[in-house]
Amino acid sequence: MLRKVLLLALAAVLVLPLFAGCKPKEAAPIKIGVELPLTGDYAYEGQGMLKSIQLLVDQTNEAGGLLGRKIELVVEDDAGDAGQASQVAQKLVDAGVIAVIGAYNSSATEPASVIYNQAGILHITPSSTATRLTEKGFQRFFRVCFLDDRQGLFAAKFMKEVLGAQKIGILHDNSTYAQGLAEHTKRYAEQLGMNVAFYDAINPADKDFTPTLTRIGGAGLDAIYFTGYHAQGGLLLKQSADLGLKLQWVMGNACNNPELIQIAGVENAAGTYVTTEPLPKDVNVPEAKKYVEDFKARYGEEPASVWWMMAAEAFNVIRYAIEQTKSTDPKVLAEFLHQAKNINGITGPILGWDEKGDRLGTIHVAYVISDKGEFILNPQQPSP
Amino acid sequence: MQQLLQQLINGITIGSFYALVALGYTMVYGVLKLINFAHGDLFMWGAYIGLTGLSLLATLLGGGGPVSIFPVAVIVMVTIALIGVLIERIAYRPLRSAGRLAPVISALGAAFILESLARNIYGASWKTYPTGLVPAGRVALLGGVRISIMQVLVLAVSFLLMALLYLFVYRTRIGTAMRAVSLDHEVSRLMGIDVDRIIATVFLIGPGLGGLAGMIVALYYGSFDFTLGWIFGLKAFISAILGGIGNIPGAMLGGMILGIIETLGAGYVSPQWKDVIAYVILILILIFRPTGLLGERVAEKL
Repeated sequence: MLRKVLLLALAAVLVLPLFAGCKPKEAAPIKIGVELPLTGDYAYEGQGMLKSIQLLVDQTNEAGGLLGRKIELVVEDDAGDAGQASQVAQKLVDAGVIAVIGAYNSSATEPASVIYNQAGILHITPSSTATRLTEKGFQRFFRVCFLDDRQGLFAAKFMKEVLGAQKIGILHDNSTYAQGLAEHTKRYAEQLGMNVAFYDAINPADKDFTPTLTRIGGAGLDAIYFTGYHAQGGLLLKQSADLGLKLQWVMGNACNNPELIQIAGVENAAGTYVTTEPLPKDVNVPEAKKYVEDFKARYGEEPASVWWMMAAEAFNVIRYAIEQTKSTDPKVLAEFLHQAKNINGITGPILGWDEKGDRLGTIHVAYVISDKGEFILNPQQPSP
Repeated sequence: MQQLLQQLINGITIGSFYALVALGYTMVYGVLKLINFAHGDLFMWGAYIGLTGLSLLATLLGGGGPVSIFPVAVIVMVTIALIGVLIERIAYRPLRSAGRLAPVISALGAAFILESLARNIYGASWKTYPTGLVPAGRVALLGGVRISIMQVLVLAVSFLLMALLYLFVYRTRIGTAMRAVSLDHEVSRLMGIDVDRIIATVFLIGPGLGGLAGMIVALYYGSFDFTLGWIFGLKAFISAILGGIGNIPGAMLGGMILGIIETLGAGYVSPQWKDVIAYVILILILIFRPTGLLGERVAEKL
């Protein structure tokens, strides 16, 4: 009898650690990678996007996590640079993440996407809109933002129908994103019968664009569409006012940022149109209202740009896919997303994705910068 | 014609910034035969110190206005000059007899440290200067060409500083000593010149001017970030080589020429081709004048 008890006790002592070993394994966190520009030119966006993702991750973890496991973010800074993007992408792969949210700009997303694809990781970009990113046949790459192609069409229609422009100019900055948007806009503008009388690029490392602006000023344009980023957009507005040029500026969605107005000065920015996805506060679905409220409550500021919201959306989509499939296998998640329809997104209803991973539909609108330096929804929008 | 004149004004403005920054490179090279790669970042720090100074003064005095530019400019010059001297003491002086390469690497190290410090202290986002410090008006010159009051001021200040520096180097005793040191350290020492002190003086004046240029550039463009020193530093360095490194009027000439070529390239061909055009011309100039436009001796080092 005593021997039996001893044996049982011994057995228990030997087996218990096995169970004990199982428990932390079951509760091992789900690792999700974040690759954003936390320093460099786009750091303002990158930091805000990270805050957005962190907000949702904390909410999810407070509610008990996913599949009984906590979410753990692995954050890497690519500084918006293509070279650095490849390096940090490899670091995220090595860290064992199942999915990555990022990068911000297309130039950084492009090299990183190759590495994530090789590693078989689910990759969702919140904000990179260059068309060619989804032309590589990557089965696990998705975007929650909309293609430059759609924005180009929207911009061309806006200039023709709302501004009544005939002779337009297009200026980009040679980045993957800006050049793509510029080419689409040019193509659609010519299809709509407009004359693209000026088409060129600035070097975004420069500070002084007066030589280019002086040339644009002499071209007699009805409107000029700038497809680059807000830091240069702000300088262009300021310097064109300094030169006394009366140009009708229209800018792409990378200029949808209060810093544009800060850099340009309110008086120089007023009257500029921006084609973009709606600002967080202008999205009319309950999920968006909740996101904006929660963001304000936690950080004491409103989410300043649509990209912050898109970053939250990217996490939302991953969370939804894990919940629905009860799986953390990137293959299962990617196959699920290709089939998914009508998800209640933070940025409005997600109709689904096409076979390339591009989000269906569009939500572009035109804003105008008011005399007080606010982005307000322009009363006139082109026909859908 | 009107456009050409306007482009020349644009080019001279850009060129005067390059020239102001180039002075610091050329002075240090003159006495130490060292390319002070940290100079571009000292220039960038001038923009940040200026921003801090202007915001401080605005909160202390409420408003401040155009007058506040002058005390802040002095603070910027003094602070950046002291940082310059400090860098010379810590990073360059101990390596003075260590050959050519060690100080160059030390200078690059100082540049990276200054840039990272700015990013970590001030953050990575774009900073904007308060507006309205300089009247925003424009003067219409003949034929509809416009020049802003800001441009007039920038050009006037730049040329004044360059002229003062020229007079200082060529008409004062310390300036004479500087030129002597730039010819030969040992002989200068034999002549009773305190070489270390002269070098320290160069590191007061060069970075001081560079810091002031940083503040002027930030006032002019209104916004900047921590990468400001990189592109201006590079362009200014090229201006200094083009004009003849070690030569003060050469730095001014080099800056102006680079600014004007770039502007005409961007304005009449394409902004995408302006660097190609500018550097093809620079290479041609250097092939025919390897010492730079006003350089006398062959730059035998680096």
